[in-house]
Amino acid sequence: MPEIKVTPLGAGQDVGRSCILVSIGGKNIMLDCGMHMGYNDDRRFPDFSYITQNGRLTEFLDCVIISHFHLDHCGALPFMSEMVGYDGPIYMTHPTKAICPILLEDFRKITVDKKGETNFFTSQMIKDCMKKVVPLNLHQTVQVDDELEIKAYYAGHVLGAAMVQIKVGSESVVYTGDYNMTPDRHLGAAWIDKCRPDILISESTYATTIRDSKRCRERDFLKKVHESIERGGKVLIPVFALGRAQELCILLETFWERMNLKAPIYFSTGLTEKANHYYKLFITWTNQKIRKTFVQRNMFEFKHIKAFDRSYADNPGPMVVFATPGMLHAGQSLQIFKKWAGNEKNMVIMPGYCVQGTIGHKILNGQRKLEMEGRSTLDVKLQVEYMSFSAHADAKGIMQLIRMAEPRNMLLVHGEAVKMEFLKGKIEQEFSIDCHMPANGETATVTTNPSVPVDISLNLLKREMALGGPLPDPKRPRTMHGTLIMKENSLKLVSSEQALKELGLNEHQLRFTCRVQLQDPHSDPDTLNRIYTHLKSVLKGYTIQHLPDGTVMVESIVIKVSSSAEDTSTKVLLLSWSYQDEDLGSFLSTLLKKGLPSGLC
Amino acid sequence: MAEMEETLDFNDILDDWFIESLKTYKDLHVYQLEHPTQVIEWTSGRTVCVAGYSSSKNEILELHLPLKLLADENKGLCAERDFKVVHGGFAEGPVCCLRHVPGTRCVVTNDGLSSDLQVWTVGGDDSDVIRRTGSVKGTRSVSAGGSRIAAPLSSQVLHGARSSDIQLTELTSGQSLYTLETDSAEPLSSLQFVSDAVFLAGGCNGDVYIADTRTSAAPQLCPGPASRGESVLWWTDASAGRVVRLSSSGRAVISDLRDLGEAVSAAQLDVQSRRCNLDDVRVSWAPALDDCIAVSGFSAAVQVYKTSVWSAERQDVRPLFEHRGHSVSSRSGDHVFATAHVWHPERPRTLLSAASDGSVHVWDWVDQSEL
Repeated sequence: MPEIKVTPLGAGQDVGRSCILVSIGGKNIMLDCGMHMGYNDDRRFPDFSYITQNGRLTEFLDCVIISHFHLDHCGALPFMSEMVGYDGPIYMTHPTKAICPILLEDFRKITVDKKGETNFFTSQMIKDCMKKVVPLNLHQTVQVDDELEIKAYYAGHVLGAAMVQIKVGSESVVYTGDYNMTPDRHLGAAWIDKCRPDILISESTYATTIRDSKRCRERDFLKKVHESIERGGKVLIPVFALGRAQELCILLETFWERMNLKAPIYFSTGLTEKANHYYKLFITWTNQKIRKTFVQRNMFEFKHIKAFDRSYADNPGPMVVFATPGMLHAGQSLQIFKKWAGNEKNMVIMPGYCVQGTIGHKILNGQRKLEMEGRSTLDVKLQVEYMSFSAHADAKGIMQLIRMAEPRNMLLVHGEAVKMEFLKGKIEQEFSIDCHMPANGETATVTTNPSVPVDISLNLLKREMALGGPLPDPKRPRTMHGTLIMKENSLKLVSSEQALKELGLNEHQLRFTCRVQLQDPHSDPDTLNRIYTHLKSVLKGYTIQHLPDGTVMVESIVIKVSSSAEDTSTKVLLLSWSYQDEDLGSFLSTLLKKGLPSGLC
Repeated sequence: MAEMEETLDFNDILDDWFIESLKTYKDLHVYQLEHPTQVIEWTSGRTVCVAGYSSSKNEILELHLPLKLLADENKGLCAERDFKVVHGGFAEGPVCCLRHVPGTRCVVTNDGLSSDLQVWTVGGDDSDVIRRTGSVKGTRSVSAGGSRIAAPLSSQVLHGARSSDIQLTELTSGQSLYTLETDSAEPLSSLQFVSDAVFLAGGCNGDVYIADTRTSAAPQLCPGPASRGESVLWWTDASAGRVVRLSSSGRAVISDLRDLGEAVSAAQLDVQSRRCNLDDVRVSWAPALDDCIAVSGFSAAVQVYKTSVWSAERQDVRPLFEHRGHSVSSRSGDHVFATAHVWHPERPRTLLSAASDGSVHVWDWVDQSEL
């Protein structure tokens, strides 16, 4: 039976990095190539030894697909393509292609420069890797080769995030990556058509989470900002240009307007230029509201939010500042942080994950004394708040997606199957589909039932219909006889005669004859009669006829009786059969050689 | 166009409420379950069970509260705001009553149609399944409406649908240890232990029975407050020696457990009285806050009242706090009802509430009168 194999790379229970191998229709695809942010050594890279023990991956993979720019999905890409070695195509959406290299370079700088690591990819490797990227548009089918095609669907979550459909012939797999089912202030919700893939691959954590509403997260953000401002403190929000900055600005602007607040809000200019540039480029990836706003004006034109100048950081009184980079590892946000860290009235709000080695990571782990350059220490007295705004689907959302796509099988990664019996049962019951949960490093094999379309010749169809019986339907298939001709890409079913004609061959018939000697004192016709009776009792279920021309026919096998010239009680049975009835013919000759039973009358 | 305007209005009202909530709540979490629940039951200090009540198959889920809510120090460093589904199981019918047996991993449910109980075991760390492990037969074989369930600190369960069929059953053996002897057969709206062996059964006519499972003596019967001929339903809750009785017309009466005949105070609550079913309304004393009760089921709101300001004569009172989250965040507006609420056992002002649209809220309100 044809099958699709799915293997999440990684070891044991570790989650936090996505890299999934799919084997479908003879093709091998790698889905995402993420870095595990919790490890400092080689365990952070996916274990490619599953693909090959040593050497390059090019000949083993038909393509690599990256779902979005988060490091746990693309962080190991340059390592894979340039250090392990892969020269085939890497597919990702346009925004992902534009943003990935920026994040990878930032990540590289932090890891190498700040932490002094050596076994890591270089800036040149990032560039070389990106040269292999083939960008995807939404809902556009891309032929990777003659047999493999892929299509990207909108996933929400972050700018440019996609769910991907991989198709070979009539077998297909959909990989969701990270997605969300409710729209937010700047992105829409994930959407897919009823594409009925053989397997839908998603994260098990979605299915076991019930997410707090977006509004409550925003409320917490506003509450914290407001409380700091009210006590005269300053709030620093380090952001990545394409992260939540835009969304949080809209939120604060609306809030300031409503509450008639006077404290100044600033964003660093580098932030706005970059953000504007990318949003303009990828406007179709944002939601309706943003698109409308953009048409009217520049996205960062706010009434209450102004461009920042570094001298403002020393101004007295409350203020809010959005500054890059997002993990406080360098630049303006770090400069401001150093100035404000010593005052407990101030606050820093981290809206996203921070990589190990950054100040952001340290303060989120509770560190209150930081070692800075030149051996000086910084006392962290300001309030540190960690907030997660990332849009993810949850238990309800995953059920909605399954309803949308109607997969034949469900596959959840990064969970422990032993501990997920209820979840598996729930999906199996609700949708009557199997739910697979391979462990990291384990392969899930899903048998598929692809339908192969074949044209049937009219003659053959007419002949079959003439045989009578019920009309064929999907629940009652009928067996039929024909010849399958595979020519170029078409499959055709014709009668044997027509096939022979097309091939220019003559039909030959093979007939076997066999003589069996039998002792029987009766007359020839009587002997024949006795043979007829004997066979009728032995071969129940076969068509046995005693014909008026003096023969017995078993199906198409002919039996004649004649007497030997010397002795009338020595009978010679002549059996004749065609090649098609070879088995029955042999059986009959063996049976009759044994003679006729004495009890026959 | 009209539909878009309606959406804008809905969002505006929702935004207004959220802005207002900055001052009126310390913490606020809003969740949407796939199916609504009418039970919320603590199974530990950090986990609750919820379950569906549709007429066919339903899920029972054990949810772990968000870490951010539970974090005391370093709350700011925790970004985790979501519920985690830690265990789940399937019930063949609706779940109208669900009780955790303290000190065990067992829960007991009733489907509101008969007086039989289903017994479940919630898995440990190695499994995510809530498995049906037994059942307890109610005394009536003909369905007489649902049973109330109360569980003391051991593996025994007190249950009954009417005052005539209250019994104490040993869960493991199914053995009946005690049966209440009484003539009346009043449908019950509440059943709870007020000490290790003494329990209180509240009838829907407002009558309250107090009995001791260690004796076979007749129960003490305290008739309900005079109702002036209106046919109303009554709900009861007892805690720390006080008993509150609430009627479907919004009338509340507070009495001392030792002297139920006398009303210490009374009030007319600020609720829209409506045609209620026995399962609709909940009233409960705050476990960690003096003289406060929470009331839900008359509408989408959950109200908190301070009973110490009530007088002996019944007067109109306003709630100390009203949680309007379920009506504001539901697009069906008027057709949503709060189905259940529970207080957090230790945090004074934290409650969980559920509504008929599947929403579940966790909220920690600010007492404006203390500001």
